[in-house]
Amino acid sequence: MELDYILNSSIAILKGFKVTYGLFFSTLIFSLPLGLLVALARISRYRILQVVTGTYIWLLRGTPLLLQVFFVYFGLPALGLTLNNMTAAILAFALNYAAYFAEIFRSGIQSINKGQYESADVLGLTYAQTMRRKIIPQMVKRVLPPVSNEVITLVKDTALVFGIGLLDVLRTAQIIVTRDFDITAFIIAAVFYLLNTAILTFIFRKLEQRYSYYTT
Amino acid sequence: MSILKAHNISKKFKNLEVLKGIDLEVNKGEVIAIIGPSGSGKSTLLRCLIRLETIDRGSIEIDGQPMVTEASDGHSVYASEQNIRVLRKKMGMVFQNFNLFPHKSVLENIIEAPIIVNGLSREEAEAIADQLLQKVGLAEKRHSYPCELSGGQQQRVAIARALAMNPDIMLFDEPTSALDPELTGEVLRVIKNLAEEHMTMLVVTHEMGFAKEVANRVIFMDNGVIIEEGTPEQIFDRTQHPRTKAFLGQILRS
Repeated sequence: MELDYILNSSIAILKGFKVTYGLFFSTLIFSLPLGLLVALARISRYRILQVVTGTYIWLLRGTPLLLQVFFVYFGLPALGLTLNNMTAAILAFALNYAAYFAEIFRSGIQSINKGQYESADVLGLTYAQTMRRKIIPQMVKRVLPPVSNEVITLVKDTALVFGIGLLDVLRTAQIIVTRDFDITAFIIAAVFYLLNTAILTFIFRKLEQRYSYYTT
Repeated sequence: MSILKAHNISKKFKNLEVLKGIDLEVNKGEVIAIIGPSGSGKSTLLRCLIRLETIDRGSIEIDGQPMVTEASDGHSVYASEQNIRVLRKKMGMVFQNFNLFPHKSVLENIIEAPIIVNGLSREEAEAIADQLLQKVGLAEKRHSYPCELSGGQQQRVAIARALAMNPDIMLFDEPTSALDPELTGEVLRVIKNLAEEHMTMLVVTHEMGFAKEVANRVIFMDNGVIIEEGTPEQIFDRTQHPRTKAFLGQILRS
């Protein structure tokens, strides 16, 4: 029956959740803090840090994410580092997304009025205290919209891991489609991505509301 | 008794010389108004005194301690960062644009530095904050956020925030210039009250009436130098200097 078929396909595709969600959350957990560190290094007064992070961002934003995934999975073993495909995917994704987050955070930090630094400075706060207590909390509010964009893109980018043999939602759906000559599985996958995007949009809207208690 | 002493300070931004050998001595309890046309270097002078800008030549002493000294070749040499921190704690500053922390409540704006810089307990800091809020007439705004306040109220909070660090000298950089005319009075009144308590203050201002009424000494700056200084009567009523006359004439006409 048609309904049975949809149900069975959905259950099969559900197994792909593990890969998709695993990669999605792991990427966020690693790339958000790493992105902040890269942003802080990029705006530090040390030339060497500026150059290193500038090059990092250029490389990671300048090449396809899929190529980076391939490089980590197929290329690193040649350098003596062999990773299983999930670990390789997480590493490549985290490094890639950190580069984008770094630029978003940097723009957010640099959009804060210089008077904020000056008033913290004359009150005796150190640079680290100023960043942690004054600048970064205000930056978070400003970067929510672009961060939300990246996070939604990430949900869909996870589908790239089919390239290294991981069975994520889309790859599982594709297997079913080729097996049964029926595109229902693709539609189920599309609904899955749309639902996730809806949830994320909702979460970010709530976050923006939470920060709306002040305006600058 | 001198609490701040600047000698021969010069400051260049790229090729533009903004301060050209300024000498300034501030005595305890003095209220000094610094007036002059825009671009004359008044704000830069204030910012140099609290090291928001570094000077190129000259020396600055705070409470008898050198913050920056003049080397034999005339260039300025700053004290260690640690010593500078100690000296800067003696100074408080209020900005033209208030610069309150928008994501923090009025109370948090005031207590944060006393807690994390001076090591006060939260209770001690709050007690001081409440007393200061009372003083600036904003006790009921304790839990408001800066965006909920008028400009005049924000500036009064900024004054309370600076006072909470218990400074010996207060620097005001055009404290009413960003305010609507009807809001300047409440801020000037707070500053005037401080003057009556003998707080040492340096006030860069365009409010001539205020300078005349509150200052013990008026400094007129133009083009990076101090043209003239004296009592308010000497500057406002009896000046013989053509540039002071021209400036005051212009102000009074407008």
